[in-house]
Amino acid sequence: MNANRPIFAPLALACIVGACIGPAIAPALGQEAMRPPAELRDAVRDSSGVEINAGTIGQLINAAQPGDVVRVPAGVYREHIRIDKPLSLIADGRAVIDGMSSGDIVEITASNVTFRGFIVRDTGIDLDKENAAIRVLADHAVIENNTLEDILFGIDLKQAPDAVVRGNLIGGKNLDIARRGDGLRLWRSDRVLIENNTIHDGRDAILWYSQNVTVRNNTSRRCRYGFHLMYSDDVVMENNELTHNSVGIYLMYSKVVTIRGNRLLSNRGPSGYGIGLKETDQFTINDNLIAANRAGIYLDGSPFTKLKPGDISRNTIACNDVGLTFLPSVKGNVIAANNFVDNIEQVCVSGRGELTGNDFAAADRGNFWTDYAGYDANADGIGDFAHESVTLFENLLDREPKLRLLLFSPAQQAIEFVGRAIPAIRPEPKFFDPAPLTKPVPLATSAGVAPSRLSLAVCGLGLASIASLVYVSSRAFAHTTRRKGVVA
Amino acid sequence: MSAATLPSSDVIPAHAPGMISNILTLAWRELRDALRARSFLLYSLAFLALGLGVSYVSAAGTGSLGLSGFGRTTAGLINIVLLVVPLMALTTGASAIAGDRERGMLLFLLAQPVSRLEVVLGKFLGLSGALIACITLGLGACSLVLAWQGGATEPRTMLWLASLSVLLALSMLSVGMLVSALARKASVAVGTGVFLWLALVFVTDLGIMAGTLALRLPVRSLFFLTLSNPLQAFKMWALHSIDASIDVLGPAGLYAMDTYHDTLPWMFGTSLAAWIVLPLVAAALIFRTRSPV
Repeated sequence: MNANRPIFAPLALACIVGACIGPAIAPALGQEAMRPPAELRDAVRDSSGVEINAGTIGQLINAAQPGDVVRVPAGVYREHIRIDKPLSLIADGRAVIDGMSSGDIVEITASNVTFRGFIVRDTGIDLDKENAAIRVLADHAVIENNTLEDILFGIDLKQAPDAVVRGNLIGGKNLDIARRGDGLRLWRSDRVLIENNTIHDGRDAILWYSQNVTVRNNTSRRCRYGFHLMYSDDVVMENNELTHNSVGIYLMYSKVVTIRGNRLLSNRGPSGYGIGLKETDQFTINDNLIAANRAGIYLDGSPFTKLKPGDISRNTIACNDVGLTFLPSVKGNVIAANNFVDNIEQVCVSGRGELTGNDFAAADRGNFWTDYAGYDANADGIGDFAHESVTLFENLLDREPKLRLLLFSPAQQAIEFVGRAIPAIRPEPKFFDPAPLTKPVPLATSAGVAPSRLSLAVCGLGLASIASLVYVSSRAFAHTTRRKGVVA
Repeated sequence: MSAATLPSSDVIPAHAPGMISNILTLAWRELRDALRARSFLLYSLAFLALGLGVSYVSAAGTGSLGLSGFGRTTAGLINIVLLVVPLMALTTGASAIAGDRERGMLLFLLAQPVSRLEVVLGKFLGLSGALIACITLGLGACSLVLAWQGGATEPRTMLWLASLSVLLALSMLSVGMLVSALARKASVAVGTGVFLWLALVFVTDLGIMAGTLALRLPVRSLFFLTLSNPLQAFKMWALHSIDASIDVLGPAGLYAMDTYHDTLPWMFGTSLAAWIVLPLVAAALIFRTRSPV
């Protein structure tokens, strides 16, 4: 330190002198060069350098007083707006705000703003700047009944607690999944209500560090994660329909989460799940329909503590490649009164291991399994033998997933048969349901629409008529030859 | 139809009216004989019974929950087809030439003005007709049961399944006829057919499993090994036609989808077509050199 002092003193002196003289001589150096061009004077720009509040809506906002209701007539507005005072901005008819492929489009920086009924379209595609259709940076916003088209990020709530996001239709840009943005994102935004929105072709709908959020009656399709929770506690997700995403719902590092009455169908990314849980605690998964996903429910380190057992009950888990996938160390779940219907593999322990730390029954009632082979002599609705999953081929699959290529071949049954017949190679049961139900639990969530029975019947008759045609024609030939006295 | 042109004294006209009509005449005869054969009736009944059983049971499972359109029934039907259709086609094909040879019928046939190629093709065509009748009857009945049970399957699925089953049957028929051309005795031919069935249905798959576990086969090799088996080509094509994807078949299926996209059906088709054409050509070539007794 001492050695530096001689250099410091002159430097500090130079700085002080410069600071005093600078402003005084600057005008003399060339006033015109320092001033921005006339058309950009007073313009406000966002981080992408896009001009803000310069168009018609911008002028309406600038002219409005806090608390006003600003009605925007129908029309196409090519502009970017910032709502920086508490206003209700409401579209009268079809009002389109077009971002012309640049920057964010609507930014809300004041509390208590309502933004309703607009069509917001065509943001920039800059992932670094996170170009969003609507970005909210203040509390108590209401974003309602808007249609967002061709956007990178849809609605982005950044430290925007107590917001309501309702009835919006959010459609992402047709980009490669790696270049898409999130349809909906919450960042440190507590007590938000998200309902009746439809999100499609986006990346994720994601909640970061947001507590007490309610997500209900939303639809998500063809996204990466239908809904994704990161470090978000006390969240309720109910009656959402999440289909054809990579993953329906993915919970990570969150606690006290309730997932109820959702429909999770055909979420089939390469590691796709209906519901995935990673180190999530105190969760409740009830009354969901989870069908045709790559894995119905995926459990990794959940529940994370012993505070409350993981509650997985009254779900219908059907026709998935795998019904339940556990990582080997998972324990502390109670899985009861679910329907496990025709999953290609009902329960999988990824890698190897047993599920002894999890209960497959509560209060002497287990689950309904379509592969249960026992019977119910006393007709109390509970099978007289426990349901054990002992399948050699599934054990092979759990060890070597590549062998799924040979699914549905007769060789699979041959291996199962050998596994049952020869005790020496009989695998340990993966899990144990002491009280399997013999009738399915009534479905709380409605299922899909059945294809027409009539067309299937017609198809059957058509196929059968081909057979009879062949038969009749062969008889006809036999008849003609016999009539002609031919010996064949 | 061509029968009208026949002279009344003979099955085959003395002045050959052309290859096509010869083949057709032979095919009609073969078809009629096949449909009359007891073994064929047995196969048809077995196929029908198993198919109906699977349809009934699987539709009852998902039907009670109102779930549908997710195709677990189809997986069961694919399984039945894989088990029954190759056995039926292989043994039918295996007894086609060898059986006639043993009974002296071949001597009689070849005394007619027909070429040996026409005999092979005529038999192939006629037996194909019989197999088509059996498959369409079985799967048609399954469709009716499924419709009655609540329609858990789409008609498109059943049509695809039927068409692809026919292709599988043709390939196995072709292999069967190759065996038949080679064998002296009908019993040997049928025995070999059954052995081949065991090999294609069980042994190769088990071998591939063992190989994958022991040698850590990469997905690419695993996929192509599996594709070379006509049964697996049929299975993958059927799944692909229903789901537009074979990602249900795990990492190897995903690899195939990511690598070959839209060419996949062509690859399945090529595998099956090769199994139809090559053994049939071989059978015709070998039959040309063999004695009719």
